[in-house]
Amino acid sequence: MSADDPHDAQLVPRGKNGRAPDVFRPAAWIPMREYPQDEAVDFAIVGTGAGGGTLACRLAEKGFKVVAFDAGAWWRPLEEFASDETHQGKLFWTDERICDGENPLHLGNNNSGKAVGGSTVHFAMVSLRFRPEWFRSRSLLGYGADWPLDWREMWRYYGEVEEALKIAGPVNYPWGPKRPRYPYRAHELNASALVLARGCEALGIDWSPTPLATVSAPRGDAHPCVYRGFCVSGCATNAKQSALLTWIPRAVRAGAEVRDLAMVGRIAMGHDGRASGVEYMREGRWQFQRARNVVVAGYAIETPRLLLMSATERFPDGLANSSGLVGKNLMVQLNQAVWGTMDEEIRWYKGPPSLSLTEHWNYEDKGKDFFGGYCYMSQGPLPVAWVSTQNGRGLWGQRLQDEMRKYNHQAGLKIVGEAMPQERNRVTLADEKDRYGLPVARVTYSLCDNDKRLVRHSLDFMSLALEAAGARDVWRETDDTCHLNGTARMGDDPATSVVNADCRSWDIDNLWICDGSVFPTVGGVNPSLTIQAIAMRTADRIETLAARGDL
Amino acid sequence: MTGLPRYPGYDVTAKRDTPSWDDVTRTVIDERLATPHEPHFFDVVEWQALCALCACIVPQDRERPVVPVAALVDARLANNLGDGYRDARLPPMRDAWRIGLRALDAESRSRHELPFSSIAEEARHALLTDMQEGGLDGPEWRGMPGAVFFAKRVLHDICGMYYAHPHAWSEIGFGGPANPRGYVRMVANRRDPWEAAEARPGREDQAYKENRRVR
Amino acid sequence: MTQTRSIDIAIGCGLATAAFALVRLGGRQTLGSPVRTHIDTARTFNRSSALLALSVLTDSAMEHYRGSFDNPAMYTPLVVSTLSLFAGLHGGSDLEPARHPVRDSIYLSAALAGVAGTGFHLYNITKRPGGWSWHNLFYAAPIGAPMALLLSGALGAVSERLRDEPAHEPRLFGMPAGQALALLTSAGLVGTLGEVALMHFRGSFHNPVMYAPIVIPPVASALLINAAFAEPRDHWFTRLWLRVTTALGFIGVGFHARGVARARGGWRNWSQNLFNGPPLPAPPSFSALALAALGALRLRETEKK
Repeated sequence: MSADDPHDAQLVPRGKNGRAPDVFRPAAWIPMREYPQDEAVDFAIVGTGAGGGTLACRLAEKGFKVVAFDAGAWWRPLEEFASDETHQGKLFWTDERICDGENPLHLGNNNSGKAVGGSTVHFAMVSLRFRPEWFRSRSLLGYGADWPLDWREMWRYYGEVEEALKIAGPVNYPWGPKRPRYPYRAHELNASALVLARGCEALGIDWSPTPLATVSAPRGDAHPCVYRGFCVSGCATNAKQSALLTWIPRAVRAGAEVRDLAMVGRIAMGHDGRASGVEYMREGRWQFQRARNVVVAGYAIETPRLLLMSATERFPDGLANSSGLVGKNLMVQLNQAVWGTMDEEIRWYKGPPSLSLTEHWNYEDKGKDFFGGYCYMSQGPLPVAWVSTQNGRGLWGQRLQDEMRKYNHQAGLKIVGEAMPQERNRVTLADEKDRYGLPVARVTYSLCDNDKRLVRHSLDFMSLALEAAGARDVWRETDDTCHLNGTARMGDDPATSVVNADCRSWDIDNLWICDGSVFPTVGGVNPSLTIQAIAMRTADRIETLAARGDL
Repeated sequence: MTGLPRYPGYDVTAKRDTPSWDDVTRTVIDERLATPHEPHFFDVVEWQALCALCACIVPQDRERPVVPVAALVDARLANNLGDGYRDARLPPMRDAWRIGLRALDAESRSRHELPFSSIAEEARHALLTDMQEGGLDGPEWRGMPGAVFFAKRVLHDICGMYYAHPHAWSEIGFGGPANPRGYVRMVANRRDPWEAAEARPGREDQAYKENRRVR
Repeated sequence: MTQTRSIDIAIGCGLATAAFALVRLGGRQTLGSPVRTHIDTARTFNRSSALLALSVLTDSAMEHYRGSFDNPAMYTPLVVSTLSLFAGLHGGSDLEPARHPVRDSIYLSAALAGVAGTGFHLYNITKRPGGWSWHNLFYAAPIGAPMALLLSGALGAVSERLRDEPAHEPRLFGMPAGQALALLTSAGLVGTLGEVALMHFRGSFHNPVMYAPIVIPPVASALLINAAFAEPRDHWFTRLWLRVTTALGFIGVGFHARGVARARGGWRNWSQNLFNGPPLPAPPSFSALALAALGALRLRETEKK
């Protein structure tokens, strides 16, 4: 049995027979309640990441009967996460997707996880709050669309998520309204992070240690971070507070069932025009789970794909699509960077990749020729990721290898930049079929002028900053994106949105969408904290609606 | 930093039995090191072209232990372990490689009457540069743009497998596997005793001694 | 989790032993008191200085090793604390009613090294990006650590001066010696507090037990001040509390060992966890100060006013 062959975890479902893996103890299990397929559960949730995992936990804790499905495996990080980037490709969505448009996207290990815990298993743990004004981007800042959510309400939910994940953050955070102190202290900055700090101080702007979802002190059964640097290849230390370590075990203990290796291929609709359950492939055969409510939380490609694939005679354009917006307004975040060589040894492979950041250009509106904002962070790519960046420059041969020899002397600054919502950026169904027999997703993406102006501004600024910190041979990485959002946006008007503020679809009152797809705008910060906050709010709203019989 | 950094005597696999490596990592790396050197996916003709191509993309001198890049690329294609997406302009990974290697040989024959593996290094470089710049577009490409094949498959797959090999990690002074033991000293110019020591000019011996002690 | 389990058992035994001893002993004066001469007090201070020096030696050796002895001056605290340790052991058995010049100069250099060290550490903190910031207080050179060397020197130097005093109504710093020593040890306890509070705050007080060393010593300190200024009498509660503080220092080592075991890889990953985990040699500094304070208390209780 080869190590690169699919592991047991990828072949044989672990969430069955009344038990689930205990991710904190090697080879151990925790009891898990199971629900019969032919009895309708309260909620069938598709996807167990930042949206689905959080929602499954909170709904189960509120007493609802929940079954959550994930196409991915239920990993045991302590024993199964190797210190090897290539092998850890097993964490990513490696089924085919087709990318086109003027700026075809890089998916896979860039932004698409496939595991119980979703992309939070491989993410870089950056946990940032939206700037309050972004919830009113159109009214207050003149671009994009307004969210149907109030920032003060979100501020409270952000605090709850930060407490639930014991976010390790600085004692004082330089930007935005006051927030409660982060539950754990920030991590020690590595040399790469200090380069960002020096650059910011030289240019006279604030910087900060990055609030991260990985613990800096023991927490329950989780170990504190050992700064091994393989974060985006999966944390084998169990310091990373992914959904796999936090929301999912809580969900199971509260009575939820999680079915791994279960690819949902269709949401079934009843004659009454309401969802009746989900069809899913598990253990080689298609099965059906009845449900009173269906929540789609597959992230911004799989969510619209499932809604489109579930089209019926009554809903020929896919479910919840009377607005025509399912799959449209796909937004990535701009991820351009500047890189340079330092005289001192940096050895950026030590520690989480983005230990320091500045949000200066998220909060400063003057001196910009573009709408929106960006933050930028220090970097620490491992060898395979780094050579891919060098390939992006077109380097090969001896020149490439010479550049790679400078590995321990590199530093970089990379943005998370706000891309504008554009309807032409979209997820549609291709004719090709995947190994489940389902149509493959086609992802079409093109940058607009505002995006390009933001990129230019950021590259100019970061070049200055990196040089001010003492870097030589500074060069610009002009083509990279991260994250995925927007393909089922929320709003207060059914004509221009797919779901309402409660993540409930306008068209089908028992069909919900609870993941990054619901973002009307994407902001200049990583989306995970906002997705989890929305999920917590949605759970509270569902509880309220259920109590007054509106479910 | 004058000249390129060197780490004489450093070998990440020396830490195999230390707290820096765990069982699953040992299994994975052992397997990578045991990749058979004969092709399982490509036929003989394609294999020749691939080997010559790898020698251009990641040239290896005789000084350092050899990384069997072509074998690793072949193994990946045999297992069909994809990236989870592809550029719409490219066919699926396996088809792209077969088409690309044969097209490369065809271009080589049309210029030099010899397959790619038989022409001189300069000629190979010239061909590859043309491919990178989009100058190769004969019918053998079957509509696949050479420049996109070069960027997304040739560079991505070959370089990705080279720098997935422990020899390459040792070459660049990467700390390598790190579980359960990570790192203690985080600031600049500090190394933990289990990290690579960079040779200071004129003091290569000292670095060599430190690197042999790495564990 | 078996490493933490066995350390839990060890801590449990330690706590049980300490509790038993405290219950038996309470705040009663024991053999060896009332103090026959001020020399006994001086010897106690020599020994406390030695314990503190041992803590400094091991702690600075580990921390400066972690710092790769980047600056040659980082060898200084190892040398000076070793000398201070020997001086303390020597003085601990020395009955001479006179200042020992070699010991005294060692103690003075220890105190100076402690002050210099604080200066170096301050520079290390403020030169980094962020300057005087929470991050640098947490992760740059620990601002309060050299203070322990200063205290070791101070305890020893005070002991030498006490020996020079007459046996009848010895005085220090213009006040009765016992009063002066009680105030000194009180200040020392508070001084040690700052670094612990900072480090346990960095650890987010993830275990409630981490509040113990910032709750117990300040109370000891306050009680000592009270004993210093009140009319000399039997302060049984102060004595009891100081014994609790002494036990705290040693049991703290147990908890720090637990912290090392608790980290990923536990003791097997000692090459990382000894340095990233809680510092094993730090807690006994409380014990050293509390033992000195008990000596001061004994002397104070014999004084007339």
